[in-house]
Amino acid sequence: MRKITGKKFYTSLFMSCISLFSACWLSGCEMIEYHPYDLDIDGETGINAKNIERIESALQGKDSFSFVFISDTQRWYDETEDAVAAINRLDSVDFVIHTGDLSDFGLKLEFELQRNILNKLNVPYVCLLGNHDCLATGQDVYRLIFGDENFTFEAGNTHFVCLNTNALEFDYTEAIPDLAFMENDRNQLPGSCTRTVAAMHAAPYTEQFNNNIALVFQHYLKTYPSLQLCLAGHTHSLSVEELFDDDVLYYTAPSIKKRTLLRFTFTPDTYQYETIAF
Amino acid sequence: MKQLLFNLIALLLLPLLPITTLGSPSDSTSLPSPRKWDKRVHQRYEGWERLRPTHVKFQYAGGMGVSAVGIGWDYGKRRQWESDFLVGFLPGKYADKFRLTFTVKQSYIPWSMSFDKHWALEPFYCGLYVTTIAGEEFWKKEPGRYPNGYYNFSTKMRPYIFIGQRMNFNLKNSIVKHVAMFYEISSCELYIISKATNSSLKMKDILRISFGVKVQLFKDND
Repeated sequence: MRKITGKKFYTSLFMSCISLFSACWLSGCEMIEYHPYDLDIDGETGINAKNIERIESALQGKDSFSFVFISDTQRWYDETEDAVAAINRLDSVDFVIHTGDLSDFGLKLEFELQRNILNKLNVPYVCLLGNHDCLATGQDVYRLIFGDENFTFEAGNTHFVCLNTNALEFDYTEAIPDLAFMENDRNQLPGSCTRTVAAMHAAPYTEQFNNNIALVFQHYLKTYPSLQLCLAGHTHSLSVEELFDDDVLYYTAPSIKKRTLLRFTFTPDTYQYETIAF
Repeated sequence: MKQLLFNLIALLLLPLLPITTLGSPSDSTSLPSPRKWDKRVHQRYEGWERLRPTHVKFQYAGGMGVSAVGIGWDYGKRRQWESDFLVGFLPGKYADKFRLTFTVKQSYIPWSMSFDKHWALEPFYCGLYVTTIAGEEFWKKEPGRYPNGYYNFSTKMRPYIFIGQRMNFNLKNSIVKHVAMFYEISSCELYIISKATNSSLKMKDILRISFGVKVQLFKDND
């Protein structure tokens, strides 16, 4: 009697293990991972370059456009999914800008998951490098999936300059923010650019920023044609501040956990912003 | 962050369990009572011989590099416990440069089903391992440039839990006692934390599969 129960037990155990194994086997080789910090990327790479091309061609010659601004989506996959659905429900959004911290631990998996969610957007998007994105091999993964950490693009007549400002991550040993990049970029600006928007992860005077050059940074930004506003993330809470007493506002996006989007609408003469809860 | 700390401590304390059971049962001289299915018996090395590794292992993937090799020791009346030390590598193709990994692994194999004199199945086993990776951009604790508690986790040490199955083939060989093929399904603590707080993540996002071979060394003395 006891032997039969034992046999039954073993058989059911065996069967359950086999079914578990086959279920995993069928789900494919993305379950084979050499290391959480390896650079063996699954899926799409070079996102920013492709999306910049889409933004620039769609908005060429225009002086009115609208974009949604989000930041700090790390380890909030549920909220990021909801944000993407909410953005897709909005009318007349031309692109989305994400000012960094896609990952919490710098894991390759986190970048891949965030990319998969953001790829569901109906409009093109660009992602900046956040301080968490620099952990371990995070910056290398970011470069492969998204692209360079300093980049620019044209949205109609408006120039967007996106900069890595996470100086603390590099122990202040690298040119962050890269003033030479800014100067070079400004010298090569096409004549059609009449306005500028700057985007970064950590705003001046946060602990990540190289605050000794905060004034110089702002001075360089002001040399761009008609600097409209600056976008930043990092603090996880919404704020609109004039950091340098020069009429340039710094908009800081809340983390995605706060379930609030910022939408900016640019018209030929001015811009407006609104917060959208989702 | 509290949750993260708790998980880490729990995972680090778990390997202590087998050590507490190591002392009493394996020291007693009585043989385990015969069972219908389970034919495993421990080899009973004495004195310094106990330091002799009882097996070597090869493992593919599972967060310890492209592959890892190592030595291990089994203990317990029916060799239910196994401890391994593995060295793995990540070639430059999958990382910024060639990297070594070091893994300490603890397994518990409660059952074995012997079909005939050659084949035996270990239908379920489980355990945990901690793997570290060489390189100064990976740290155990955040470097001094950060304010205290800025990141609160380690990029260098990665604890994993796993379950697996194993098939043994017994040989009549003077050096190799048996060869076992195994596979394991594992996940690390950061993946589990991510899944726990996000219903939109699927199990296949956080589960990882790996394969391996264990070669049991040395023939029985008797």
